[in-house]
Amino acid sequence: MQLFIGGTCAGKRGVVRQRFEEPRWHSAHARDRLEAWPSVADTACLVLEGWERWIGERLAAEPDDDRLRQAMVRELDALRAWEAERGGQAVLILLEMGRGIVPLGLENRRLRDLNGWLAQDAAARCERVWYVWNGLVKELSC
Amino acid sequence: MIAFISGGARSGKSTHAEALARRWQAERGGARYYLATARSGGDEWQARIGRHRQVRGEGWITLEEPVDLIAALERVAPGSTLLLDCLTLWASQLLYASEYAGELDEARGIAMLERLLAEARQRDVALVIVSNDVNEGMPPEDAEVWRYLAFLQRAHRLVAQEADEVIQVMAGLPQVWKRRGEERS
Repeated sequence: MQLFIGGTCAGKRGVVRQRFEEPRWHSAHARDRLEAWPSVADTACLVLEGWERWIGERLAAEPDDDRLRQAMVRELDALRAWEAERGGQAVLILLEMGRGIVPLGLENRRLRDLNGWLAQDAAARCERVWYVWNGLVKELSC
Repeated sequence: MIAFISGGARSGKSTHAEALARRWQAERGGARYYLATARSGGDEWQARIGRHRQVRGEGWITLEEPVDLIAALERVAPGSTLLLDCLTLWASQLLYASEYAGELDEARGIAMLERLLAEARQRDVALVIVSNDVNEGMPPEDAEVWRYLAFLQRAHRLVAQEADEVIQVMAGLPQVWKRRGEERS
């Protein structure tokens, strides 16, 4: 599993497109639901993007941050299990959103916290982690 | 030669850019220009501009041009070094300055930047471009702020791709992303 993380419009998608051949995209921006990824996993390379949207959609139904964090971790672990069983590769694209001012609204504060934890949990499970900045990419040491 | 230098507010990016421009001028000869995109209106901006000018010291020919980068470049003698500080202000003025209302948009702005980079190389003007990273906080909720951020990031990606040297400054320390002759994977 590999993680690409960077800020808004940092060029994350372009970097992933250059590095992986014909991956299958599973995207919250195309209204794909996170938990539906196994239905499109008949591929060698699966890119999952829009994690902040997937978190945002779950905030209202799960008021407990720890439980929501664990639910996201279960998806990460399921992706790792899929890789091990099927020899596929999962590529995660995450948005860096934790470097601004603390948001005024509770929902946005929860979103920002959960997105940050997800990035830590994902990085801990990835073989390689990449930081995308202004269209350039640098490997972060794990 | 083109360098792109970015980072957070007060990260030391201007100081680093000024040092690089001095070094390039010392190596290449010619004059050293400072292109300020800030308009000198209002007390706070006067103070900020005054602080930057004082820190920069002697030896700079200052040009002020909020939007039209090509007009500014045309005032620079071939063989010189030009420091442009900064793209964030240029981007907002290009989209919102009242005297250009309706004439300029994202595509024209990107075309202007492409032309600046190409003509600087053609005229042998060494160009150091400074900007500010503002895209790693919460994504904007307001549509206009989104438009501005998307445009600024397009400008950043273009300049970073074309530049020979790309530096991210944090706490005054330069992190090299790209330097001609030291290509990274």
